[in-house]
Amino acid sequence: MLSYLGRSAVQKLVTLFFVSVISFLIIHLAPGEPSQIDPLNPKFTPEIVERMRKEFHLDKPLYTQYLLFYRDLFTGRIVSWKDNQPVLGKIWERFLNSLPLFIVGTLLTWTFSFPVGIRSAIHRDGIYDKSTTLLSYLLISIPGFFFAYIMIILVVTRLHVPVIGMETFGVTSSSPLVHFMDRTWHLVLPSILGATGGIAVLSRYVRSQMLEIIGQDYVRTARAKGLSTETVYYKHALRNALLPFVTMFGLILPGLIGGSVIIESIFSWPGMGRMAYEAILARDYPIILTVNFITAVLVLLGTLVSDLLYMVVDPRIKL
Amino acid sequence: MTIKRFLIIAPAVVSLVLLLSYFWVPTYEEQTRGNPQRLEQFITASIGDATILNPILSANSASSQIEGLVFEGLIDRDENLQYRGRVAERWRISEQAYFYVNDNAATLKWGALDGTELRSNLESALKADPDTGPFVTAVELLPAASYSVTRSIGRADQQRTVTLKVQAPQRIRITLNRVDQLFFEHLLPYLGPDYFETFNAPARITAEPEPAPEQLAALAREILPATTHNPVLDFFLRTNVRFHDGQPLTAEDVKFTYEAIVNPDNLSPRIPDYEPVKQVEIIDPHTVRITYKRLYSPAIGTWAMGILPKHLLDEAALAREAQESGQDPAQFGLRQSSFNRRPVGCGPFVFQTWKSDQYIRLARFEDYWEGPANYHTYVMRIIPDMLTQEMEFYAGTVDDYSVQPHQVERLSRDDRFQHFSGAAFGYSYIGYNMRRPPFDDVKVRRALGMAIDTQKIIDFMLYGQGERITGPFVKQTDYYNHAITPLPYDPQGALSLLEEAGWRKASDGYLQKEGKRLAFTLITNNGNPLRKAIMAIAQDAWKKIGVQVETDLLEWSVFIQKRVNELDFDALILGWSMGIDPDLFQIWHSSQTGKFQLNFVGYADPVSDDLILKIRREYDLDRQVAYCHQLHERIAAAQPYTFLYVNRWTGLLDKRIVRRITNASGKTTLLPIVPTKTGGYTFHFNQWIKLSGPPSFAAEG
Repeated sequence: MLSYLGRSAVQKLVTLFFVSVISFLIIHLAPGEPSQIDPLNPKFTPEIVERMRKEFHLDKPLYTQYLLFYRDLFTGRIVSWKDNQPVLGKIWERFLNSLPLFIVGTLLTWTFSFPVGIRSAIHRDGIYDKSTTLLSYLLISIPGFFFAYIMIILVVTRLHVPVIGMETFGVTSSSPLVHFMDRTWHLVLPSILGATGGIAVLSRYVRSQMLEIIGQDYVRTARAKGLSTETVYYKHALRNALLPFVTMFGLILPGLIGGSVIIESIFSWPGMGRMAYEAILARDYPIILTVNFITAVLVLLGTLVSDLLYMVVDPRIKL
Repeated sequence: MTIKRFLIIAPAVVSLVLLLSYFWVPTYEEQTRGNPQRLEQFITASIGDATILNPILSANSASSQIEGLVFEGLIDRDENLQYRGRVAERWRISEQAYFYVNDNAATLKWGALDGTELRSNLESALKADPDTGPFVTAVELLPAASYSVTRSIGRADQQRTVTLKVQAPQRIRITLNRVDQLFFEHLLPYLGPDYFETFNAPARITAEPEPAPEQLAALAREILPATTHNPVLDFFLRTNVRFHDGQPLTAEDVKFTYEAIVNPDNLSPRIPDYEPVKQVEIIDPHTVRITYKRLYSPAIGTWAMGILPKHLLDEAALAREAQESGQDPAQFGLRQSSFNRRPVGCGPFVFQTWKSDQYIRLARFEDYWEGPANYHTYVMRIIPDMLTQEMEFYAGTVDDYSVQPHQVERLSRDDRFQHFSGAAFGYSYIGYNMRRPPFDDVKVRRALGMAIDTQKIIDFMLYGQGERITGPFVKQTDYYNHAITPLPYDPQGALSLLEEAGWRKASDGYLQKEGKRLAFTLITNNGNPLRKAIMAIAQDAWKKIGVQVETDLLEWSVFIQKRVNELDFDALILGWSMGIDPDLFQIWHSSQTGKFQLNFVGYADPVSDDLILKIRREYDLDRQVAYCHQLHERIAAAQPYTFLYVNRWTGLLDKRIVRRITNASGKTTLLPIVPTKTGGYTFHFNQWIKLSGPPSFAAEG
């Protein structure tokens, strides 16, 4: 166990190093320069452009830039080129904004997928199964932004309530309950939109897992010994069908920081995804690279967590 | 069965909680009914967030929109685009013209004479002359001087420093009460036609180590120029202007703002505007004198720059801030200061809060020198999506909306809103690389322009929301020459022009000259659907007259760095956005045709060069306009670009927003919002207010 942890830690550190090098190279090899350096501005003389590049260390060789960047990152001194704010502070603020969206979205995805998938498996090929399959494929194939626009137009023009942003703009109410409920309402549409794709995909997985397990010999045995259908399905089959989802649970960790670019942009939600997207447009390297680095750390942590969880839930596995 | 029950109850509970929240959210009507303060708020939306709220550092439109309300400059432009005083109550433009007494030349009128006599003769002659008499205020003789300076010469990679010993002769200084770029020509009848040209500057300079003679001559011209214009701007500041923290604004702050801009550590993108400044002097607490090194008429406009408070940003204040936040004072400059996130200016609105990517909120400044604005609060929301902005506008949580071209037709008929439209300050064009054949022939460029039906592009691509343009000036200004007509759409005429240039149709249908086909590549950047469409239209139009055109869409940075900057293109589609000022030096002067410069089409015309410099140096509006009209004509005749169109924008406002003016006796009048000459409608923003019902205006005379 300990040796596994040790080995895994070393492996992951090596991976992390390569991720940091490669992402750094990709960003710097991609064409384009920070938006502050604007050679097409008639007012910019070549000297100014040169001085700006110098200020951002862009005139130094790549390896020096790499070392400078990671030195600043680990000492926490790194600042965004766009507004000179500390990057870590910005990420933390945005992370807190994205967190409720992530939690509610995940909650919706996981609470809805299981009942929907299990029922489809039990009543295989029935009308219910067929219609959820159709609906799932519909939801998977509809473009997220289009679906979002339809929902916004419907809600705004029919229900006449605001849906944009994190709370109703300009309302100053002292009651904390009203405030809480207002924020919750603003979570509803974006998190439903964020969850629909997830529900559609995950419920398909649940269905196929259940179907596979239901066909197993021990399920037949359980039925043969006269257990009720519900016990068979929910106790014997479901438990075993859950195993692969443990892995998936570890992998949602990186989603914490990824956020959703499209949903956040449409709903003007000041979250992580939008910040990263705007940083890419402005070629704000410190933000892009830091988000990238943290995501890599979370992915590696996620795989570690799912390995460990697997060991906990499945006694057959020894690490 | 607990598991089954849990699986059903869990999603039900989650959904219930989420949907219940609906009943707590106020509908829009409830928001305004229970919230009368809403009428005193102006809420606008912006696609992008501000970056840095410091007028000398920022360079994006959201930041400048906020800075325009929080900060105020010495002057700005009024409804008719003339300068008007803001922080400065009035200003005076004068000039000091210098020339060195030339010992090598006898004067034409008085023969050889020494400096003292020259001065007194010149003074009486100039005062007596009706052309110069009213303008000359003083003629002085400055003594000879000797001093030494160091300069670095040579290319960037092999620079060396030379020490120069300068024996400057006596100098005459003539003070004028206006700026006259042709002033020295008035002196020629007295001094002789080559009095200035024969001034031998290199002979008065000894250099150590000795540079090459032509280098020395260049240095001498720079250090001892025969004639020099030093325009002088005196600004007389208002005495009742205060910063939002109560400190009065004085000449010290103006000087500080200038110094902050030119300080290289601050990396201000506005340095080039202030490079011609020789010095900024404080005459008294409310008078600043700015002396320029040379004639540079765009300089006046640069003083619309917001004035920074010295007491919050000078070295002592920055050091204090660095210490409080525990940072190294040596590394802590203006760019690091938290001022950029919570600015203090002297404009009509006081900064309150900035939530990144959510909103920026301002409150009106009660002590504003012109009286407080009508709106109590100004909020700029950051809504990155156009459709969402539109939804918020319909619902009343945003007060204005910039209509997209395809919506203009529908929304301008909607009587819930008032609408304004105007032409943008920018144009789209097809530029030809004039260094390469066949574009070195004006007939070919003209023919290519005539083959494209620009009106169709405007009608179908822009839904009619565009106007033809014929030259490089902003269409609403006086500088634009309206006498020039756009190129007609005339493919037959284009063919006969090409035939004159030697291009004839070959048997394969393509135009040929000396066995070579008329073929080139048209490029533009990816990500701009309009340019992509223009590219297809142009390709098709040119193919119809027998030109073989390849097209290429490139990613923006590749397009700029590899093709435009390296001058590696045949023809390209691009656009310029412009300021009001008519200075075209960077884009059209022949000295700017190198790599990484903006005259990438390679337009080089000595007459235009001369006009461009004259426009830059002319301080008199009428004469400047006349030069601009000539330049416009030159450029339109040469067709280095096929000038396509300027976009028209349309803005919507709630009908209930009006101008409310309260006079001294407290009587209020309501006026409708009318656009100014440029089409802008926010000029009187400080007088705007939202009424609770539709307005009725007093009858106008």
